[in-house]
Amino acid sequence: MSWGACFFYYRCPDCGRKFKYATDLIAELGPRFGLCPGCGAEGVLEKEGARTPDDLEYEEVDE
Amino acid sequence: MAKKTIITAAVTGAWPKKENNPNVPLTPAEISEDVYSCWKAGAAVAHLHMRDDEGNGTMDKNKFAETLRLLKTNHPDCDIVLNLTTSGDLFATEETRQIHLKELRPEMGSYDCGSMNWMNSGLFINSPAFLTELGKNMQEWGVKPEIECFDPGMIANAAYYLKKGVLKGPLYFQMCMGCANGIPGSVKNLVFMKETMDALCPGSQWSAFGVGHSAMEILYAAVALGGNVRVGMEDNVLYSKGVLAESNAQFVERAARVIREFGNEVATPDEAREIIGLAK
Repeated sequence: MSWGACFFYYRCPDCGRKFKYATDLIAELGPRFGLCPGCGAEGVLEKEGARTPDDLEYEEVDE
Repeated sequence: MAKKTIITAAVTGAWPKKENNPNVPLTPAEISEDVYSCWKAGAAVAHLHMRDDEGNGTMDKNKFAETLRLLKTNHPDCDIVLNLTTSGDLFATEETRQIHLKELRPEMGSYDCGSMNWMNSGLFINSPAFLTELGKNMQEWGVKPEIECFDPGMIANAAYYLKKGVLKGPLYFQMCMGCANGIPGSVKNLVFMKETMDALCPGSQWSAFGVGHSAMEILYAAVALGGNVRVGMEDNVLYSKGVLAESNAQFVERAARVIREFGNEVATPDEAREIIGLAK
């Protein structure tokens, strides 16, 4: 049994961008994890889970 | 002669619903048709989960039986290897997690070789007593365990049960990469999993899949490292970043292309039986 990719879903407090990071990237990305891909601000964590129904509204960041 | 690579199709899983992807098959009729489509596209093994009438994961043996009946009745030409989950519902009992294996005698069943936290919210328990009983029962019932490992410790656990006689070699591993609380999905980590398996359980065969961002990385790496591959909506509801999968067969078709482009051949079910070590 697997459970797909799990994410932290963020909203940028500065530019409003919605984005997500897979939780298995926490170690690899280190301090970059959770930063807005647009302006670099620290994202506000809205929720977590395995592809919530509105998943596609959040840009996936993996580098 | 080109190496044969097995494609396993994991078409449903325990978590995705229609709201995650409307194309995920949930009913026995949908699942059986999806398995057939995947077989036609090149899958040699089908890993099956069931859902209740609300779409939640269930270990209801009648759902498994109905799915197998539909597949056999509607598609008697389909010789795909059936691999039934033993972990389709976190609240199932140790009895309901294995009674379908006893009654239906599939060629394979999953064997999750350790306990872990599930999505940071629940417990995925595979106690020593359960694993011991399940391993012995699977031997008695002629069901080959697919050793699902979410981290290297589970490979060590498989070696322990192999030495105890609970498992019988050669083993067949499924490296589950990138699941929450498991080993992150990366080529480096897959190499470590393979090397751990080779050291602790020499002579084993293996397959791998990655969820989310690591899906393609693990697919390519598994082929390059001489392993087999698993694809399907159990692990990924997106075909690529931001794009919902149209079907499970779409994943199988892509895996088949990768295997052929690499220079290998896609294993038929009978070839898979030989590689995995199934009694015909």
